[in-house]
Amino acid sequence: MANYSTSQFKNGLKLMLDGNPCSIISNEIRKPGKGQASNKVRLKDLITGKTLEKTFKSGESVEGADVMELDMQYLYNDGSEWNFMDPDTFDQYVINDDAMDGVRGYLVEQDMCVVTLWNDNPISVTPPNHVMLEVVDTDPGLKGDTAGTGGKPATMNTGVVVQVPLFISIGEKVKVDTRTNEYAGRT
Amino acid sequence: MNTRDALKKRDNFLAQTRQFFSQQSIVEVQTPKLLNTPTADVYIDSIAMQVNQDIEKKSKYLHTSPELEMKKLLANGSGDIYQICTVFRDNEQGAQNFNEFTMLEYYRLGFDIHQLMDDMVQLLKTLGIEGRVSKLSYAQAFFEYGDIDILNTNFAALKVIAKTHSLSTDFEWIEDLQILLFTHLIESKLKELPLCFIYDYPATQSALAKVEGQVAHRFELYLNGVEVANGYDELQEAEIYQQRFNNEINKRTSLGKAHVDLDKDFLSSLKNSLPQCSGVAIGIERLLSQIN
Repeated sequence: MANYSTSQFKNGLKLMLDGNPCSIISNEIRKPGKGQASNKVRLKDLITGKTLEKTFKSGESVEGADVMELDMQYLYNDGSEWNFMDPDTFDQYVINDDAMDGVRGYLVEQDMCVVTLWNDNPISVTPPNHVMLEVVDTDPGLKGDTAGTGGKPATMNTGVVVQVPLFISIGEKVKVDTRTNEYAGRT
Repeated sequence: MNTRDALKKRDNFLAQTRQFFSQQSIVEVQTPKLLNTPTADVYIDSIAMQVNQDIEKKSKYLHTSPELEMKKLLANGSGDIYQICTVFRDNEQGAQNFNEFTMLEYYRLGFDIHQLMDDMVQLLKTLGIEGRVSKLSYAQAFFEYGDIDILNTNFAALKVIAKTHSLSTDFEWIEDLQILLFTHLIESKLKELPLCFIYDYPATQSALAKVEGQVAHRFELYLNGVEVANGYDELQEAEIYQQRFNNEINKRTSLGKAHVDLDKDFLSSLKNSLPQCSGVAIGIERLLSQIN
Protein backbone atom coordinates (compact mmCIF):
# COMPACT_ATOMS: atom_id res chain seq x y z
CA MET A 1 0.00 0.00 0.00
CA ALA A 2 1.22 3.48 -0.82
CA ASN A 3 2.51 5.85 1.82
CA TYR A 4 0.85 9.20 2.32
CA SER A 5 2.69 12.38 3.25
CA THR A 6 1.03 14.77 5.69
CA SER A 7 0.41 17.15 2.79
CA GLN A 8 -1.97 14.54 1.32
CA PHE A 9 -3.95 14.14 4.54
CA LYS A 10 -7.66 14.81 4.19
CA ASN A 11 -10.78 13.70 5.95
CA GLY A 12 -11.66 10.11 5.14
CA LEU A 13 -8.12 9.08 4.16
CA LYS A 14 -7.33 5.61 5.52
CA LEU A 15 -4.01 5.07 7.26
CA MET A 16 -2.35 2.24 9.17
CA LEU A 17 -1.60 3.15 12.78
CA ASP A 18 -0.28 0.71 15.37
CA GLY A 19 -1.33 -2.15 13.11
CA ASN A 20 -4.95 -1.09 12.69
CA PRO A 21 -6.60 0.68 9.75
CA CYS A 22 -7.82 4.15 10.73
CA SER A 23 -9.81 6.86 8.99
CA ILE A 24 -8.96 10.57 9.30
CA ILE A 25 -11.72 12.60 10.96
CA SER A 26 -9.93 15.94 11.15
CA ASN A 27 -6.51 17.37 10.33
CA GLU A 28 -5.30 20.60 11.92
CA ILE A 29 -2.04 22.15 10.71
CA ARG A 30 -0.01 24.30 13.09
CA LYS A 31 3.02 26.27 11.98
CA PRO A 32 4.95 28.22 14.61
CA GLY A 33 6.70 31.39 13.43
CA LYS A 34 10.10 29.80 13.94
CA GLY A 35 9.68 26.11 13.61
CA GLN A 36 8.40 23.21 11.72
CA ALA A 37 4.73 22.75 10.91
CA SER A 38 2.87 19.84 12.46
CA ASN A 39 -0.39 18.06 11.73
CA LYS A 40 -2.68 17.22 14.62
CA VAL A 41 -4.89 14.46 13.32
CA ARG A 42 -7.98 12.83 14.80
CA LEU A 43 -8.66 9.36 13.52
CA LYS A 44 -11.18 6.60 13.98
CA ASP A 45 -9.76 3.14 14.45
CA LEU A 46 -11.84 1.09 12.04
CA ILE A 47 -11.35 -2.12 14.03
CA THR A 48 -12.07 -0.90 17.56
CA GLY A 49 -14.24 2.07 16.62
CA LYS A 50 -12.26 4.24 19.05
CA THR A 51 -11.25 7.80 18.23
CA LEU A 52 -7.58 8.62 18.64
CA GLU A 53 -5.44 11.69 18.22
CA LYS A 54 -1.95 11.71 16.80
CA THR A 55 0.43 14.51 15.88
CA PHE A 56 2.82 14.21 12.98
CA LYS A 57 5.53 16.59 11.89
CA SER A 58 4.69 17.96 8.47
CA GLY A 59 6.36 15.97 5.74
CA GLU A 60 6.27 12.74 7.71
CA SER A 61 4.70 9.90 5.77
CA VAL A 62 2.42 7.17 6.98
CA GLU A 63 1.45 3.84 5.42
CA GLY A 64 -1.95 3.89 3.81
CA ALA A 65 -4.55 1.26 4.67
CA ASP A 66 -6.19 -0.73 1.89
CA VAL A 67 -9.71 0.04 2.99
CA MET A 68 -12.78 0.07 0.77
CA GLU A 69 -16.34 0.88 1.59
CA LEU A 70 -18.91 -0.98 -0.49
CA ASP A 71 -22.70 -0.84 -0.56
CA MET A 72 -23.97 -4.33 0.11
CA GLN A 73 -27.30 -5.96 0.74
CA TYR A 74 -27.72 -7.88 3.98
CA LEU A 75 -29.01 -11.35 3.19
CA TYR A 76 -29.20 -13.51 6.31
CA ASN A 77 -27.49 -14.65 9.49
CA ASP A 78 -26.79 -18.33 9.92
CA GLY A 79 -26.06 -18.15 13.62
CA SER A 80 -22.36 -17.32 13.66
CA GLU A 81 -21.82 -15.57 10.35
CA TRP A 82 -23.56 -12.77 8.55
CA ASN A 83 -24.05 -12.92 4.81
CA PHE A 84 -23.96 -9.92 2.50
CA MET A 85 -24.07 -9.52 -1.27
CA ASP A 86 -22.56 -6.94 -3.58
CA PRO A 87 -25.63 -6.10 -5.72
CA ASP A 88 -23.46 -5.17 -8.71
CA THR A 89 -21.32 -8.29 -8.91
CA PHE A 90 -23.55 -10.64 -6.89
CA ASP A 91 -20.38 -11.57 -4.95
CA GLN A 92 -21.26 -12.78 -1.49
CA TYR A 93 -19.30 -11.78 1.59
CA VAL A 94 -19.41 -13.64 4.87
CA ILE A 95 -18.78 -11.50 7.90
CA ASN A 96 -17.66 -12.91 11.19
CA ASP A 97 -19.84 -12.17 14.21
CA ASP A 98 -16.90 -10.33 15.89
CA ALA A 99 -17.16 -7.51 13.38
CA MET A 100 -20.85 -6.95 14.15
CA ASP A 101 -20.58 -5.42 17.62
CA GLY A 102 -23.06 -2.61 18.04
CA VAL A 103 -24.90 -3.21 14.78
CA ARG A 104 -26.49 -6.65 15.20
CA GLY A 105 -29.74 -5.14 16.39
CA TYR A 106 -30.17 -3.01 13.29
CA LEU A 107 -29.72 -5.49 10.50
CA VAL A 108 -32.85 -6.11 8.50
CA GLU A 109 -32.80 -8.61 5.66
CA GLN A 110 -32.66 -6.94 2.23
CA ASP A 111 -31.46 -3.59 3.69
CA MET A 112 -28.49 -1.93 1.98
CA CYS A 113 -25.55 -1.48 4.34
CA VAL A 114 -22.03 -0.12 3.95
CA VAL A 115 -19.46 -2.85 4.42
CA THR A 116 -15.89 -1.79 5.14
CA LEU A 117 -13.24 -4.09 3.71
CA TRP A 118 -9.63 -4.05 4.83
CA ASN A 119 -7.29 -6.03 2.58
CA ASP A 120 -10.51 -7.47 1.11
CA ASN A 121 -11.71 -8.74 4.48
CA PRO A 122 -14.90 -7.24 5.92
CA ILE A 123 -14.11 -5.46 9.19
CA SER A 124 -17.27 -3.52 9.91
CA VAL A 125 -20.82 -2.91 8.77
CA THR A 126 -22.71 0.37 8.89
CA PRO A 127 -26.47 -0.11 8.72
CA PRO A 128 -28.71 2.54 7.12
CA ASN A 129 -29.36 5.58 9.36
CA HIS A 130 -32.97 4.46 9.82
CA VAL A 131 -34.34 0.92 9.90
CA MET A 132 -37.86 -0.47 10.35
CA LEU A 133 -38.04 -2.90 13.26
CA GLU A 134 -40.95 -4.82 14.75
CA VAL A 135 -41.83 -4.60 18.41
CA VAL A 136 -41.91 -8.11 19.90
CA ASP A 137 -42.23 -7.19 23.56
CA THR A 138 -43.30 -4.12 25.51
CA ASP A 139 -45.67 -3.25 28.37
CA PRO A 140 -49.24 -2.52 27.30
CA GLY A 141 -49.57 1.15 26.48
CA LEU A 142 -51.79 3.64 28.21
CA LYS A 143 -54.93 4.34 26.21
CA GLY A 144 -55.19 7.85 24.93
CA ASP A 145 -51.50 8.68 25.27
CA THR A 146 -50.64 9.96 21.86
CA ALA A 147 -48.35 12.78 22.85
CA GLY A 148 -45.38 10.51 23.20
CA THR A 149 -44.34 11.93 26.53
CA GLY A 150 -42.47 9.62 28.79
CA GLY A 151 -41.93 6.37 26.98
CA LYS A 152 -41.20 2.75 27.76
CA PRO A 153 -38.63 0.18 26.69
CA ALA A 154 -39.59 -2.07 23.80
CA THR A 155 -37.71 -5.12 22.54
CA MET A 156 -37.46 -5.34 18.77
CA ASN A 157 -37.44 -8.43 16.56
CA THR A 158 -33.67 -8.01 16.20
CA GLY A 159 -33.13 -8.07 19.96
CA VAL A 160 -32.31 -4.38 20.41
CA VAL A 161 -34.22 -2.48 23.11
CA VAL A 162 -35.46 0.99 22.16
CA GLN A 163 -37.32 3.59 24.21
CA VAL A 164 -40.70 4.04 22.46
CA PRO A 165 -43.79 6.18 23.18
CA LEU A 166 -46.39 4.65 25.51
CA PHE A 167 -48.95 4.14 22.70
CA ILE A 168 -46.78 1.64 20.80
CA SER A 169 -47.89 -1.99 21.16
CA ILE A 170 -46.52 -5.42 20.31
CA GLY A 171 -46.55 -6.26 16.62
CA GLU A 172 -46.16 -2.65 15.41
CA LYS A 173 -43.34 -1.64 13.12
CA VAL A 174 -41.33 1.39 14.22
CA LYS A 175 -38.56 3.43 12.65
CA VAL A 176 -35.32 3.44 14.67
CA ASP A 177 -32.32 5.73 14.21
CA THR A 178 -29.34 3.37 14.17
CA ARG A 179 -26.87 6.11 15.14
CA THR A 180 -28.61 7.04 18.37
CA ASN A 181 -30.83 3.98 19.06
CA GLU A 182 -33.80 6.34 19.27
CA TYR A 183 -37.37 5.90 18.15
CA ALA A 184 -37.94 7.95 14.99
CA GLY A 185 -41.60 7.42 14.15
CA ARG A 186 -43.95 4.78 12.88
CA THR A 187 -43.60 5.07 9.13
CA MET B 1 -18.08 43.69 10.42
CA ASN B 2 -18.76 45.24 7.02
CA THR B 3 -15.98 46.09 4.60
CA ARG B 4 -15.90 49.81 5.40
CA ASP B 5 -15.75 49.21 9.15
CA ALA B 6 -13.01 46.62 8.74
CA LEU B 7 -10.97 49.05 6.61
CA LYS B 8 -11.50 51.85 9.11
CA LYS B 9 -10.43 49.60 11.95
CA ARG B 10 -7.21 48.78 10.14
CA ASP B 11 -6.63 52.39 9.13
CA ASN B 12 -7.16 53.56 12.69
CA PHE B 13 -4.84 50.86 13.95
CA LEU B 14 -2.05 51.96 11.60
CA ALA B 15 -2.53 55.64 12.50
CA GLN B 16 -2.34 54.89 16.22
CA THR B 17 0.72 52.72 15.71
CA ARG B 18 2.50 55.44 13.76
CA GLN B 19 1.56 58.02 16.38
CA PHE B 20 2.92 55.79 19.15
CA PHE B 21 6.28 55.53 17.42
CA SER B 22 6.42 59.14 16.32
CA GLN B 23 5.89 60.29 19.92
CA GLN B 24 9.00 58.34 20.90
CA SER B 25 10.98 59.69 17.93
CA ILE B 26 11.20 56.27 16.31
CA VAL B 27 11.65 56.68 12.58
CA GLU B 28 9.56 54.83 10.01
CA VAL B 29 11.62 53.19 7.25
CA GLN B 30 11.01 51.30 4.03
CA THR B 31 13.56 48.68 3.05
CA PRO B 32 13.92 46.64 -0.17
CA LYS B 33 11.52 43.75 -0.51
CA LEU B 34 13.16 42.09 -3.50
CA LEU B 35 16.37 40.54 -2.21
CA ASN B 36 19.34 38.79 -3.80
CA THR B 37 19.54 36.06 -1.17
CA PRO B 38 16.71 33.95 0.19
CA THR B 39 16.31 33.57 3.94
CA ALA B 40 18.51 30.95 5.58
CA ASP B 41 15.87 30.18 8.22
CA VAL B 42 15.36 26.42 7.99
CA TYR B 43 11.56 26.44 8.34
CA ILE B 44 10.84 29.64 6.42
CA ASP B 45 10.95 29.57 2.63
CA SER B 46 11.43 32.59 0.39
CA ILE B 47 9.35 33.00 -2.75
CA ALA B 48 11.69 33.14 -5.75
CA MET B 49 11.06 35.51 -8.64
CA GLN B 50 12.60 35.68 -12.10
CA VAL B 51 13.37 39.29 -12.97
CA ASN B 52 14.86 41.09 -15.95
CA GLN B 53 13.67 38.32 -18.27
CA ASP B 54 14.26 40.48 -21.34
CA ILE B 55 17.68 41.73 -20.32
CA GLU B 56 19.70 39.45 -18.13
CA LYS B 57 17.52 36.99 -16.32
CA LYS B 58 18.23 36.53 -12.63
CA SER B 59 16.57 35.26 -9.50
CA LYS B 60 15.37 37.56 -6.76
CA TYR B 61 13.57 36.64 -3.59
CA LEU B 62 10.68 38.36 -1.87
CA HIS B 63 11.62 39.21 1.69
CA THR B 64 10.18 36.94 4.38
CA SER B 65 10.85 39.63 6.99
CA PRO B 66 12.48 43.07 6.83
CA GLU B 67 14.91 42.02 9.57
CA LEU B 68 18.25 41.91 7.76
CA GLU B 69 17.64 45.03 5.69
CA MET B 70 16.67 46.95 8.83
CA LYS B 71 19.75 45.65 10.60
CA LYS B 72 21.89 47.09 7.80
CA LEU B 73 20.36 50.45 8.66
CA LEU B 74 20.96 49.92 12.38
CA ALA B 75 24.60 49.08 11.70
CA ASN B 76 24.83 52.31 9.73
CA GLY B 77 23.63 54.46 12.59
CA SER B 78 19.90 54.70 11.88
CA GLY B 79 18.95 54.78 15.56
CA ASP B 80 15.48 53.54 16.61
CA ILE B 81 13.46 52.48 13.57
CA TYR B 82 10.23 50.72 12.66
CA GLN B 83 8.65 49.39 9.52
CA ILE B 84 5.19 48.25 8.51
CA CYS B 85 5.31 46.11 5.40
CA THR B 86 3.95 43.08 3.62
CA VAL B 87 6.14 39.99 3.86
CA PHE B 88 5.97 36.86 1.74
CA ARG B 89 6.57 33.24 2.63
CA ASP B 90 6.40 30.10 0.56
CA ASN B 91 5.01 26.74 1.67
CA GLU B 92 2.99 28.20 4.51
CA GLN B 93 0.20 26.00 5.78
CA GLY B 94 -2.33 26.11 8.56
CA ALA B 95 -5.46 28.07 9.33
CA GLN B 96 -3.51 31.13 10.53
CA ASN B 97 -0.66 31.09 8.02
CA PHE B 98 -0.65 32.77 4.65
CA ASN B 99 1.75 33.38 1.78
CA GLU B 100 1.61 37.10 2.48
CA PHE B 101 0.87 39.04 5.63
CA THR B 102 1.66 42.38 7.18
CA MET B 103 4.49 42.73 9.62
CA LEU B 104 5.34 45.49 12.04
CA GLU B 105 8.98 45.31 12.98
CA TYR B 106 10.77 47.68 15.33
CA TYR B 107 14.12 48.09 17.02
CA ARG B 108 15.02 49.95 20.21
CA LEU B 109 18.64 50.82 20.89
CA GLY B 110 19.91 50.05 24.37
CA PHE B 111 16.83 48.00 25.27
CA ASP B 112 17.00 44.47 26.61
CA ILE B 113 14.06 42.17 25.90
CA HIS B 114 12.31 43.04 29.15
CA GLN B 115 12.36 46.74 28.33
CA LEU B 116 11.07 45.93 24.85
CA MET B 117 8.26 43.77 26.28
CA ASP B 118 7.29 46.66 28.58
CA ASP B 119 7.31 49.00 25.60
CA MET B 120 5.08 46.59 23.66
CA VAL B 121 2.58 46.55 26.52
CA GLN B 122 2.34 50.35 26.11
CA LEU B 123 1.92 49.98 22.35
CA LEU B 124 -0.83 47.39 22.79
CA LYS B 125 -2.54 49.61 25.33
CA THR B 126 -2.56 52.45 22.80
CA LEU B 127 -4.20 50.06 20.36
CA GLY B 128 -6.87 49.03 22.84
CA ILE B 129 -5.38 45.67 23.81
CA GLU B 130 -5.32 45.53 27.56
CA GLY B 131 -5.63 42.86 30.18
CA ARG B 132 -3.58 41.05 32.73
CA VAL B 133 0.00 40.76 31.48
CA SER B 134 1.70 37.44 32.18
CA LYS B 135 5.43 36.97 31.78
CA LEU B 136 6.69 33.43 31.87
CA SER B 137 10.10 32.14 30.96
CA TYR B 138 10.02 29.25 28.49
CA ALA B 139 11.19 26.95 31.29
CA GLN B 140 8.50 28.23 33.68
CA ALA B 141 5.79 27.69 31.08
CA PHE B 142 6.92 24.08 30.59
CA PHE B 143 7.10 23.53 34.35
CA GLU B 144 3.74 25.06 35.05
CA TYR B 145 1.70 23.71 32.17
CA GLY B 146 3.53 20.55 31.18
CA ASP B 147 5.43 19.47 34.32
CA ILE B 148 8.55 19.21 32.16
CA ASP B 149 12.04 20.52 32.98
CA ILE B 150 12.63 21.59 29.39
CA LEU B 151 16.15 22.98 29.81
CA ASN B 152 17.45 19.85 31.53
CA THR B 153 15.63 17.07 29.71
CA ASN B 154 17.62 15.37 26.99
CA PHE B 155 16.45 14.41 23.50
CA ALA B 156 15.77 10.74 24.35
CA ALA B 157 13.71 11.64 27.42
CA LEU B 158 11.72 14.25 25.46
CA LYS B 159 10.91 11.58 22.87
CA VAL B 160 9.47 9.38 25.62
CA ILE B 161 7.30 12.30 26.77
CA ALA B 162 6.21 13.01 23.19
CA LYS B 163 5.27 9.38 22.71
CA THR B 164 3.01 9.35 25.76
CA HIS B 165 1.15 12.30 24.23
CA SER B 166 0.84 10.61 20.80
CA LEU B 167 3.18 13.20 19.32
CA SER B 168 5.67 12.48 16.58
CA THR B 169 9.16 11.52 17.73
CA ASP B 170 10.65 11.52 14.24
CA PHE B 171 13.06 14.41 14.73
CA GLU B 172 16.68 14.97 13.99
CA TRP B 173 17.25 17.87 16.38
CA ILE B 174 16.08 18.42 19.93
CA GLU B 175 14.85 21.96 19.21
CA ASP B 176 12.27 20.70 16.73
CA LEU B 177 10.85 18.36 19.35
CA GLN B 178 10.89 21.16 21.97
CA ILE B 179 8.89 23.30 19.56
CA LEU B 180 6.39 20.49 18.87
CA LEU B 181 5.91 19.92 22.60
CA PHE B 182 5.42 23.64 23.15
CA THR B 183 2.91 23.92 20.31
CA HIS B 184 0.83 20.95 21.40
CA LEU B 185 1.16 20.79 25.17
CA ILE B 186 1.76 24.37 26.29
CA GLU B 187 0.27 26.74 23.71
CA SER B 188 -3.30 25.52 24.25
CA LYS B 189 -2.95 26.37 27.96
CA LEU B 190 -2.03 29.97 27.09
CA LYS B 191 -5.55 30.54 25.70
CA GLU B 192 -6.70 31.58 29.15
CA LEU B 193 -4.05 34.32 29.30
CA PRO B 194 -5.07 37.54 27.49
CA LEU B 195 -1.53 38.83 27.09
CA CYS B 196 1.35 36.50 27.69
CA PHE B 197 5.05 36.90 27.02
CA ILE B 198 7.20 33.77 26.87
CA TYR B 199 10.89 34.65 27.15
CA ASP B 200 14.37 33.13 27.43
CA TYR B 201 14.11 30.28 24.95
CA PRO B 202 16.48 27.30 25.10
CA ALA B 203 19.82 28.16 23.48
CA THR B 204 19.03 25.53 20.82
CA GLN B 205 16.24 27.87 19.61
CA SER B 206 18.33 31.03 19.67
CA ALA B 207 17.52 32.07 16.07
CA LEU B 208 19.26 35.48 15.91
CA ALA B 209 19.07 36.25 19.64
CA LYS B 210 21.93 36.57 22.10
CA VAL B 211 22.69 33.47 24.14
CA GLU B 212 23.59 33.54 27.80
CA GLY B 213 24.19 30.17 29.51
CA GLN B 214 21.32 27.79 28.75
CA VAL B 215 19.01 30.40 27.29
CA ALA B 216 18.67 32.76 24.35
CA HIS B 217 17.27 36.21 25.10
CA ARG B 218 14.32 35.80 22.82
CA PHE B 219 10.60 36.23 23.47
CA GLU B 220 7.25 35.64 21.90
CA LEU B 221 3.94 37.29 22.60
CA TYR B 222 0.73 35.26 22.80
CA LEU B 223 -2.65 36.96 22.82
CA ASN B 224 -5.30 34.51 24.04
CA GLY B 225 -3.04 31.68 22.95
CA VAL B 226 -2.33 33.07 19.47
CA GLU B 227 1.34 33.69 18.64
CA VAL B 228 1.61 37.29 17.39
CA ALA B 229 5.18 38.47 17.94
CA ASN B 230 8.77 37.28 18.14
CA GLY B 231 11.58 39.41 19.54
CA TYR B 232 15.31 39.20 20.26
CA ASP B 233 18.10 40.86 22.10
CA GLU B 234 19.87 41.17 18.77
CA LEU B 235 23.20 39.63 17.87
CA GLN B 236 25.77 42.30 17.11
CA GLU B 237 28.83 40.88 15.37
CA ALA B 238 29.04 39.63 11.79
CA GLU B 239 30.97 36.49 12.81
CA ILE B 240 28.15 35.33 15.07
CA TYR B 241 25.55 36.01 12.41
CA GLN B 242 27.64 33.96 10.02
CA GLN B 243 27.74 31.03 12.46
CA ARG B 244 23.98 31.13 12.95
CA PHE B 245 23.29 31.36 9.19
CA ASN B 246 25.64 28.45 8.48
CA ASN B 247 23.90 26.40 11.11
CA GLU B 248 20.55 26.96 9.40
CA ILE B 249 21.99 26.37 5.94
CA ASN B 250 23.46 23.04 7.09
CA LYS B 251 20.10 22.03 8.53
CA ARG B 252 18.40 22.87 5.25
CA THR B 253 20.93 20.69 3.43
CA SER B 254 20.41 17.73 5.73
CA LEU B 255 16.63 18.01 5.30
CA GLY B 256 17.05 18.06 1.54
CA LYS B 257 15.57 21.56 1.25
CA ALA B 258 16.51 24.06 -1.45
CA HIS B 259 20.06 25.30 -1.02
CA VAL B 260 20.51 28.83 0.22
CA ASP B 261 23.69 30.88 -0.13
CA LEU B 262 25.24 32.70 2.76
CA ASP B 263 24.11 36.34 2.66
CA LYS B 264 27.60 37.80 2.22
CA ASP B 265 26.19 41.19 1.37
CA PHE B 266 24.52 41.40 4.77
CA LEU B 267 27.61 40.14 6.60
CA SER B 268 29.89 42.67 4.92
CA SER B 269 27.50 45.48 5.78
CA LEU B 270 28.07 44.62 9.45
CA LYS B 271 31.67 45.83 9.38
CA ASN B 272 30.46 48.11 12.09
CA SER B 273 28.66 45.74 14.45
CA LEU B 274 25.04 46.37 15.30
CA PRO B 275 24.62 48.62 18.33
CA GLN B 276 23.15 46.76 21.30
CA CYS B 277 19.42 46.72 20.65
CA SER B 278 16.30 44.62 20.91
CA GLY B 279 13.83 44.16 18.11
CA VAL B 280 10.49 42.51 17.56
CA ALA B 281 8.33 41.43 14.64
CA ILE B 282 4.56 41.54 15.05
CA GLY B 283 1.99 39.90 12.79
CA ILE B 284 -0.53 42.65 12.10
CA GLU B 285 -3.49 40.59 10.86
CA ARG B 286 -3.28 38.32 13.88
CA LEU B 287 -2.99 41.32 16.18
CA LEU B 288 -5.97 43.02 14.51
CA SER B 289 -8.07 39.91 14.94
CA GLN B 290 -7.58 40.32 18.69
CA ILE B 291 -8.94 43.88 18.72
CA ASN B 292 -12.68 44.27 19.11
